[in-house]
Amino acid sequence: MSFRRNGNLSSTLLLIAANVLIPVAIVIFATGFFPYKPLLPGLAQYEPLDGYGEPPEAPFDKLVFMVVDALRSDFVYTTNSGFKFTQSLIRHGAAIPFTAHATSPTVTMPRLKAITTGSVPSFLDVVLNIDEGDESSSLASQDTWLAQMKAKDTGKLVMYGDDTWLKLFPGTFDRADGTTSFFVADFTEVDHNVTRNIPGELRNDDWNTMILHYLGLDHIGHKGGPRSPHMVPKQREMDGIVSQIYKAIETQDHLKSTLFVLCGDHGMNDAGNHGASSPGETSPALLFISPKLKGLQKNQDSPLPDAEDFQFYSTVEQSDLAPTLAALLGFPIPKNNLGVLIADFLSIWPKKADQAYLLHENARQIQTVISAASGTKTFDGALPAESCASPTSDYEQLACEWQGPSNNLMSARVGDDMDSQWALPVVTWLRKAQELMSGMASNYDMSRLILGQITALLAVIFSLSAAIKTVSPTRSLTPLLVISIAYSIMMFASSYVEEEQHFWYLATSTWFGYLTLRGFKRANTTFPAHLLLTAFPVLASLRLLRAWNQTGQKHAGTPDIVKLFIEPHPHFLWLLVGLTYFWTHRQLVYSFHGRIPVPINYPVMTGLVLAAFTFKAAFTLEDAPELVVEFVKSSLLDFTRGASLIARARAVFVGLGLVAMAAMGFILWEMRGAGGNRKRSRRKKGPAEAITTLQHLYTILALTQSRTANIPVFLIFNLLYWFLSSEIDAPDGTGLSTVELGISSLLLQYASFFAMGGSNAISSVDLSNAYNGVSNFNVVLVGILTYVGNWAGPVWWAFGTVVLLGEIWRRDQRQKRLGSGNNGKRGSDEKEEEAEAKQMLEGGQISPFKTYVAVTTLFTAFSVAAVMAACTILRTHLFVWTVFSPKYLYCVAWSLVQHLVINVGLSGLLFWLGSF
Amino acid sequence: MPLVDPVTMSSSAIVKGAVAQSTSTTKSTPGSQATESSTTTAGSSSSLATLRPVQIKQTPAAQTVRHALPAALTALYLLRFDALVTNPVPVMLNALPVVAAFQMTYALLCLPAAGEPASKSNRKPRPGEKKKGGDIGSSTIITALLASVLTSIVTPFLYFAMVLFGAPFLTHGSHTFLCAAHLALLTLFPLFYVHGVDSAAWAAVGGFRAPLDETFGGLVGGIVGAWLGAVPIPLDWDREWQRWPVTILCGAYGGYLLGRVLGGTLFWGKKF
Ligand SMILES: [Zn+2]
Ligand SMILES: [Zn+2]
Repeated sequence: MSFRRNGNLSSTLLLIAANVLIPVAIVIFATGFFPYKPLLPGLAQYEPLDGYGEPPEAPFDKLVFMVVDALRSDFVYTTNSGFKFTQSLIRHGAAIPFTAHATSPTVTMPRLKAITTGSVPSFLDVVLNIDEGDESSSLASQDTWLAQMKAKDTGKLVMYGDDTWLKLFPGTFDRADGTTSFFVADFTEVDHNVTRNIPGELRNDDWNTMILHYLGLDHIGHKGGPRSPHMVPKQREMDGIVSQIYKAIETQDHLKSTLFVLCGDHGMNDAGNHGASSPGETSPALLFISPKLKGLQKNQDSPLPDAEDFQFYSTVEQSDLAPTLAALLGFPIPKNNLGVLIADFLSIWPKKADQAYLLHENARQIQTVISAASGTKTFDGALPAESCASPTSDYEQLACEWQGPSNNLMSARVGDDMDSQWALPVVTWLRKAQELMSGMASNYDMSRLILGQITALLAVIFSLSAAIKTVSPTRSLTPLLVISIAYSIMMFASSYVEEEQHFWYLATSTWFGYLTLRGFKRANTTFPAHLLLTAFPVLASLRLLRAWNQTGQKHAGTPDIVKLFIEPHPHFLWLLVGLTYFWTHRQLVYSFHGRIPVPINYPVMTGLVLAAFTFKAAFTLEDAPELVVEFVKSSLLDFTRGASLIARARAVFVGLGLVAMAAMGFILWEMRGAGGNRKRSRRKKGPAEAITTLQHLYTILALTQSRTANIPVFLIFNLLYWFLSSEIDAPDGTGLSTVELGISSLLLQYASFFAMGGSNAISSVDLSNAYNGVSNFNVVLVGILTYVGNWAGPVWWAFGTVVLLGEIWRRDQRQKRLGSGNNGKRGSDEKEEEAEAKQMLEGGQISPFKTYVAVTTLFTAFSVAAVMAACTILRTHLFVWTVFSPKYLYCVAWSLVQHLVINVGLSGLLFWLGSF
Repeated sequence: MPLVDPVTMSSSAIVKGAVAQSTSTTKSTPGSQATESSTTTAGSSSSLATLRPVQIKQTPAAQTVRHALPAALTALYLLRFDALVTNPVPVMLNALPVVAAFQMTYALLCLPAAGEPASKSNRKPRPGEKKKGGDIGSSTIITALLASVLTSIVTPFLYFAMVLFGAPFLTHGSHTFLCAAHLALLTLFPLFYVHGVDSAAWAAVGGFRAPLDETFGGLVGGIVGAWLGAVPIPLDWDREWQRWPVTILCGAYGGYLLGRVLGGTLFWGKKF
């Protein structure tokens, strides 16, 4: 007995140690993998360049910067584009077109950072992009061309469009009207709010910078893809605005020195999404427009035929915008810029000395960045010739190569006769420096990567020995180990990371196939009947889940149940949605039955479920109006007409909170009753049933935070849940063991995540429900809502598992009582039950919750260690920023939130509450 | 947890050669195929009524066919592989009668037909008596025909099972169906020939409690192989052979042949 206790204690300690090491490993590794890049503080000033005179005069003094979100290059440049006027400008040389290469992650905020600072934002900006209110993502204190235009003090800064600009540049704009992209179904209003400001501003002459950011085209992409019927009309609308602004520049005197830039912040893939690095996503259009540019005589062909790789005209880096604007508008290049002045514009300055000045300033500014990064003063003096014979670092190599371009600049400055290609070596050198500094490979902190890796391996060892000590017989861990090891191996192949869902689908079907086949042993039916009544419904449910949402990269956008059966048949969708809400209502009422009187129970629960249902209907009317059928509109929405979405969502959340508090109250009340008064009647419900109330309340929250087309999935979950529950109550001791329940739960948590549309790509993070009921941005609230919105299924299964664990626990106690042959006296029965419960909790016997935690910890430790190893080994791989880094972030979410917070913290609390 | 469920045990577990069960409990090896050995029980659980592993007939023809057919199937598969990759449906369709003929030959020459041979030899357990080689009577042919009918009946269900495990449902219907037909012909036809519609035998097979032999080994191998065949599909190698259902069929054939050979030799009589 004492040995058993010691073994139990040591396994508990090992389990705790493993769960402490997992977050430690994640943090250590992350600090080495996503290093914080030192930024040069302050605003750049013109510094005298040796031997040059004053900075050359700038041809422009005003800037209209028009961003059309997700404006892919072919939307402007090809034959079937709606930008007919813009194309005529290209032909006449008034518009100089480029394809601007946007680096991954291709989401708006990091792209705007690159465009305005000229630097390459770190990968962590993706997280901050989701977490839009974060202060650290603000550029107010950084050197950008906006700050430079403001510092010029020749006019005001105005902004109309996507409010990301307002978040990035708080307090920068003198006049602004931000639009938000809550609802991607909004194609027109969001753009109209920008356009209506333009005529007035074009008459104003008090500004020197006007930013316009249109979101409609991006919304059309997300909703219907690049070939949506709305796409070309939207392009025509945008073309009309280009024409309006261009004509104003042509005709109005105060606008005559205005530079007009039209660009996309990123492109989109064939499904209309963005975030990763497919050619479509990384190739937005970029045009510099002004009547003055006709002087360059760069008339080019337009429109062009389609190109597979989306590369039209010459390709530049998106960051090149910053130094080019600096030259064209006459301000110092922002300090952290890594962009290269676009050489096509050099001939605007007739004097070679001026051209040399601009290039030299660009080079000197990048050299400052390199010096700061390398921590040396490589460019201060001439390097000794011997160190250039065998350079020790990339930086030194670069410094040595500076000699040639530097000589060219010198000759150009003093007006030597040179061939027309003299600037080429300088630009080549700048590009090389840009490439080196943008490359992330040199920035890893290897010692931290290794330390994090070792910590994760320790967590694997600890969790493995804890699991071996906790679980008996040890061989029942085999399926879990097979899953964990197969998953770990899979993490090293980029395509398996992209297509992770297949692993979980196949594993889940196989596991449940095994469970149903095994169940036949004790079934009293014939084999065909068992197949038809048990195996078929379970496996068919899993097959439906698998087909519900097509996810992953390889077959993105191919038909799935949502596209084939749900979206074309909204009546069918609302039937299923109504059924889901009705079922939840039934279960909720039932779980309160006997606790509160029916006249209170029924109306309260009905009100709560109706509030949730009408919110969903009202939300869908905004988010996807084509899905709302007339019946829902007329019967439900008119009934509560006038309520705003925020008010509706808040009503649901407050209702859920109040009912949850009531349920908790019952638990505490019954706990006290159980402690003091033993004579609670058999009919009275225990805390175990109160836990199921919380489970059903969570279901309503999950429905509220899920896309409407995903709501019927919860009916399928209920069917699978019912199967697991029936497996527990097997009469002869062959029922589901705790380890088997743990494995089932793990599989269903992952499978449900992918079935509801999740994947390992940043672009699949669903933000549509992140702001339900939130009016002022609140990091914690939006974070929780986003998490529940994307992990609704996994959290549902975590709740379900706790209830099932309680069932297993009570079953084992019942069997033990039967085994001890002590089932005669009813009175002492309960006493014993409680004594045993105490004993179990105090470590006399292993609690099923501990076994469950051992199972999830083992898998989590394996997955964390494997993802880290994959990121370390493949850190120079092409896919590290597109596949493995996003996977790391997802792995962090799975292990920190889903495992530690939900499966250990929340489930532990619920299990503890239910075990009294 | 009892290994064998009381329900199954009591009701209908079959014993091939129930007479011999009490007389001989020595463990046999696949090499010593005297007449008696076919009547011995395999495995240690002789006190329980269990399914015996299938013995391959001892005739020279049976032993030749037993080894020649896997080689012939492998050769056929390798020969048609390129055509299969480019044109799966007609190739699978055309190969079906060939594979059926192979399996039919194998069953008739090598396997004991349902019920009959074992009981025949049990009724006259004279030591030293050689069984007449290759006595393909009319009853065995009827058994074989029945087995093929059962195989074709079960094919739609196998197709359905494949869909449940992730095969495409709305597209590639004929691909998946033909793949299921091949899988059924390989793995289920020999089992139907040997066990007929004996529900207890099938319960043992379905519950993975049957002892390993060429037929059950082939079933396990074929299913595991087809299952593993799904693994390379998501890889981004963009090879033609990654197309549905080439890898599945490949895995099924490879797994079946391996399972059949191993089940008939190394793991003969063993249980899970
Ligand atoms: Zn964007
Ligand atoms: Zn977008």
